[in-house]
Amino acid sequence: MIPAIKAELRKFFTTRLWWGMAIAMLVIGAGLAVAFGYFVTAGAESGAEGVPTGTAEQVANSVYTGGLSFGYLLTLVIGIMQIGSEYRHKTITSTLLAVPRRGQMMVAKVVALLVIGAIYGLIFLVGSVAAGALVLNAQGYSPFPSGGVFRTLALSLLVLGLWALIGLGVGILIPNQVAALLIAVAVAWIVEPIGGVLLSLWDFGRDHIVPYLPSAATQAMVNGVQQGGPDAAQPLSWWAGALVLAAYAAVLAGLGAWRTMRADIS
Amino acid sequence: MTATTTTTDRTGAGARIEVRDLTKRFGSFTAVDQLSFSVEPGRITGFLGPNGAGKTTTLRMLLGLIRPTGGSATIEGQRYQDIASPMRMVGSALEATNFHPGRTGRDHLRVLAAATGIGDARVDEMLELVGIPAAARKRAGGYSMGMRQRLGLAAALLGDPKVLILDEPANGLDPEGIRWLRGFLRHLSRQGKTILVSSHMLQEVEQTVDDVVIINNGRLVKQGRMSELHGDAKTIVRTTDLDALAGALRVADVTSETQDDALVAATDDLRLIGDVALRAGLPVYELRAATTDLEALFFQLTEGTNRNLGDESAAPERDAITGQEGANG
Ligand SMILES: Nc1ncnc2c1ncn2[C@@H]1O[C@H](COP(=O)(O)OP(=O)(O)O)[C@@H](O)[C@H]1O
Ligand SMILES: [Mg+2]
Repeated sequence: MIPAIKAELRKFFTTRLWWGMAIAMLVIGAGLAVAFGYFVTAGAESGAEGVPTGTAEQVANSVYTGGLSFGYLLTLVIGIMQIGSEYRHKTITSTLLAVPRRGQMMVAKVVALLVIGAIYGLIFLVGSVAAGALVLNAQGYSPFPSGGVFRTLALSLLVLGLWALIGLGVGILIPNQVAALLIAVAVAWIVEPIGGVLLSLWDFGRDHIVPYLPSAATQAMVNGVQQGGPDAAQPLSWWAGALVLAAYAAVLAGLGAWRTMRADIS
Repeated sequence: MTATTTTTDRTGAGARIEVRDLTKRFGSFTAVDQLSFSVEPGRITGFLGPNGAGKTTTLRMLLGLIRPTGGSATIEGQRYQDIASPMRMVGSALEATNFHPGRTGRDHLRVLAAATGIGDARVDEMLELVGIPAAARKRAGGYSMGMRQRLGLAAALLGDPKVLILDEPANGLDPEGIRWLRGFLRHLSRQGKTILVSSHMLQEVEQTVDDVVIINNGRLVKQGRMSELHGDAKTIVRTTDLDALAGALRVADVTSETQDDALVAATDDLRLIGDVALRAGLPVYELRAATTDLEALFFQLTEGTNRNLGDESAAPERDAITGQEGANG
């Protein structure tokens, strides 16, 4: 099992994709922490209508995870490409010749993606915490008001890993890599937000569906400031959000694994 | 026949490949149809058939990549996916094995090596062996077909396997490369490895293989020694008086027959014929070993089953599950 995981990690770190992604993670983490740093602190003070409000802890959380929705989009892409590029370049043949037990191959991919997600998470946090703490300080906020901030930081690593697993499942279920990338990004960034807004117009949807959408669950995990006033959907607690996102990852990666177990590789 | 006592295990010698009633249907199309053959340890076996015969599909089933519709394919009695450390038992290079264009050839091997617990030193050794140590440090996107074939061979050899399975390894090689490949396979065979090598051209492998398995339309057409395909040795000789030479040869116990303006003698002993002619005072204008026209033979074998639907004795215990036959012919 360990050799198969090592092979997957080596596969990832021997193309140029990884350091391009690493730079993107660092820039996104730092850049959006700065932007959120000014935006959220301004809003929380003014108390004006339509701007986000929250505790000092939530303010810090929001700043450090400001770029997280870009970050998990990148790990979603990594997850898709981890399997999609194997189909596209037909390297899946040599992968399965080296690790012919497909369940083992899939577990190796899952573990490798969680590791990769955590590595990128650390890179992301290096950027966002360094830049965010500076801005919070400058704005007169405490950079680390409570222990909850550290929980949020740790959970961001998990968020990035889980979205990578969602990508793995999508990449298997939509074997055309380009189609998989377009569809996944469109769903995560366009379909889900619009769907969330529309569902919120309907009481049942707002209370029982919207909080369980993947991006809402992700936001709940990192517990940032709230936006949209009293009519907005109530987010899940952080651990429920984590369970919901983990369920998405398990279902999609599981479906993908099931399909991979049976497929003819020709 | 190399007799192996059944009680001793065969470690050290190459392993045996056994294909039994192997069948694969893609939808209603039967790509491989009740195929049975075996590959003997320590020999080079040519797996032959025209394009679309089902060679690649068969090899992919043997390697656990395609799930058979029926039958079995085993190596040393085990399915590929049940072998504990498969790359150490079986090395394979399949047609259409590709490389990530952004990864170097060397890194491609390092990925496989990691999965099998093999170190970088062995990777470099194999690259040296197939003659691409420097080129393999470039990204695979720009590799020529010949480079890809060599890299594929290096990958197959990483685990120092007992069995080598190569699908059309000569494809895309220039004559120089084919000659290299021939010598290379001979060299590996001398180490006792079992080698199964597919080709759609008999001539490509005729000088390399010991045994042949010929298939067409997914069915076995012929399995046997390469030497059997060649038939009995013959020599062609031209002189002024064919009848006189035939008589002199008969005295030397060599039968012969006239063919056009030459005599075809049933021997491969060119020297004997030269001596006989000299003693008979006949000039020799031409003296050469006759080669069987294997291309024609191959064509005939693989076309034959197309024309005579289902009555060819070469295909064993065929039944009527499908009426599927190749459309060409
Ligand atoms: N995945 C597949 N789906 C449908 N037909 C296939 C598939 N793979 C191979 N075939 C068909 O099976 C036949 C045998 O193909 P193949 O094994 O590649 O032959 P060969 O390697 O001898 O050229 C061909 O007619 C091919 O078109
Ligand atoms: Mg083929």
